[in-house]
Amino acid sequence: MREKTRILRFSVFDRLFHLFIMVTFLIQAVTGMGRLLYATTWGKWVVGLFGSYETATAIHNTVGILMMIAFAVHIVYVLFKVEWRTPGKRLFHPDSLVPRFQDVVHLGQKIRWFLGLGPPPQFDRWTYWEKFDYWAVFWGLPLLGVTGLVLMYPVGASRYMPGWSLNVMLLLHRAEALLAMLYIFIIHFSIGHLRRGMFPMNECMFAGSVELEKELKEKPAWIARLQEDGRLEEVMVPGPPTWYRVMYFVFGYAVLTVGIYLLIVIINYRNYIEWH
Amino acid sequence: MSAKGRVIFSLALLCLSLLVAVPAPAQEEVTSSIRRYREREASTGYYEEYEVKPRRVRPFVGVPGVGRKPFPYSPGAAEIRTRTYLADSHRGLEFYAMRRCEDCHVAEAKHSHTVRGNVTCRQCHGGEPIASINHYFSPLNPIRRHAYVCAKCHEGANASFATFMVHEPPAAAAATRKTFPSLYYTNWFMYLLIVGVMGFFILHSLVWISKEFYHQVMEKKRKPEDERKDQNSAL
Ligand code: HEC
Ligand code: HEC
Ligand code: HEC
Repeated sequence: MREKTRILRFSVFDRLFHLFIMVTFLIQAVTGMGRLLYATTWGKWVVGLFGSYETATAIHNTVGILMMIAFAVHIVYVLFKVEWRTPGKRLFHPDSLVPRFQDVVHLGQKIRWFLGLGPPPQFDRWTYWEKFDYWAVFWGLPLLGVTGLVLMYPVGASRYMPGWSLNVMLLLHRAEALLAMLYIFIIHFSIGHLRRGMFPMNECMFAGSVELEKELKEKPAWIARLQEDGRLEEVMVPGPPTWYRVMYFVFGYAVLTVGIYLLIVIINYRNYIEWH
Repeated sequence: MSAKGRVIFSLALLCLSLLVAVPAPAQEEVTSSIRRYREREASTGYYEEYEVKPRRVRPFVGVPGVGRKPFPYSPGAAEIRTRTYLADSHRGLEFYAMRRCEDCHVAEAKHSHTVRGNVTCRQCHGGEPIASINHYFSPLNPIRRHAYVCAKCHEGANASFATFMVHEPPAAAAATRKTFPSLYYTNWFMYLLIVGVMGFFILHSLVWISKEFYHQVMEKKRKPEDERKDQNSAL
């Protein structure tokens, strides 16, 4: 019976945000890459899928605005989550995603373990790479959003900043987008799918829950803390139904395919990427 | 008139003529905003307010060639172009008529207006003769570029907007450090960021995944009672 015990890791809201950003990120990646590589046959083909260059641009712009709205909603959501009576305690609590000194220690321990010089770190609820995932999106989104908005309304924007800074914004937008794509399609995908115990897919972002058995190995400090507080029973939840699992496996692998395809395109067409 | 008188008279004339020759400030002003661009205004219906300079100077919004600016920006500081003040930039060039713009201006043909926006060179640079950028009456002269060129498509384009570098210099090139420093340093910053983040995490995941895989293989080989000894590498 114990193998089947599952504990809650992501609330419905967390999972919805993740689903939303998966879909919108892919749309932006495809339309953006199509426009970036518009001088090539591949770019013309992809942009053609959306109708025309203008429609691809319109989709890119609209989805960008949607993402910014979702980001604002996320901020409000997070602000409500913080317990403002004791902010200092809660913000640096192991349940919070705010980086702590402990994360640096964990990274050091991890490298030590890589070199075979010591035991692996005892992770709590959020590991340092998971926090990096979160904060990378957290600063990438506003950067892409602001530079994108400026490029969407270049004439209006040049009233508040010199016109030549649009050149800089364009460069920032492209470089940051490239970094985001490379990071997601290489690092995020391989950590989520290729690790032992995770292969073929880390399901927790869809199922919302994880097997206690696995977490005892992955995040021992978290489980120990739950047991100490006597909250382990509280967070136990039933597993996802089979139909739902089938759905998210199909969806997850579809996203994975598109991402890896885009990665191949980036590598293939690297010489055609115009930075200006 | 005596010889002396003639000398005095001609000297006086000379002095007078010197005085006369001093141009009055009003003569230096080549434009009365209403006259000079009348036809343009009649056809477009706006722009008279941006005749020579932008009316209000905003902090941090500098216009090259017009005012001083806090952030340096000088297209052409690194190279001296000899043809940039001509009325016909291609005067005396052999075989000009037979060739297309991009045959000679390879780098200038690679920018988003032409590649993606489907804008032709002549929509900005005009018909023959193509004026050099800095020729006084050139439509692309920074003092009127926004009104004469950009505003044809970007409604309401102002002088600040026109400082956008349509033909952006290659961001990583050494010359760009002088001509467009903010672009140059942004490029390096992002480059180091990408290489740093990707380099670290690719190495990190490679070692991690292969080490886990290795432990899995070893565990399968091992007898169950040995497992407890090696708790260190359990993960
Ligand atoms: C025969 C080759 C040739 C062709 C074809 C050609 N150019 Fe040029 N162009 C030159 C050269 C050489 C110069 C002077 C060097 C420079 O300033 O870069 C020049 C200068 C210019 C300048 C002035 C640059 C400045 O510094 O102010 C502009 C603008 C320009 N060309 C636009 C065009 C456009 C638009 C076309 C197509 C209609 C075109 N050229 C076709 C060779 C050519
Ligand atoms: C959107 C308007 C626009 C279009 C389209 C355009 N130019 Fe230009 N061009 C400019 C402006 C503005 C400058 C002044 C310097 C700058 O912004 O780069 C310029 C400068 C130049 C120069 C001077 C050298 C330099 O790089 O500064 C050349 C040569 C030139 N253009 C050639 C071309 C050719 C060839 C094409 C077509 C492939 C073309 N331009 C299309 C706006 C345009
Ligand atoms: C013939 C029409 C035309 C003229 C003239 C023109 N533009 Fe554009 N401009 C466009 C189009 C079309 C786009 C959209 C291109 C795209 O989506 O990539 C654009 C986009 C832009 C952008 C947004 C950034 C980008 O690269 O997509 C800027 C900034 C810009 N133009 C500046 C200028 C400046 C400065 C001038 C004057 C020197 C100018 N434009 C003249 C048609 C024009």
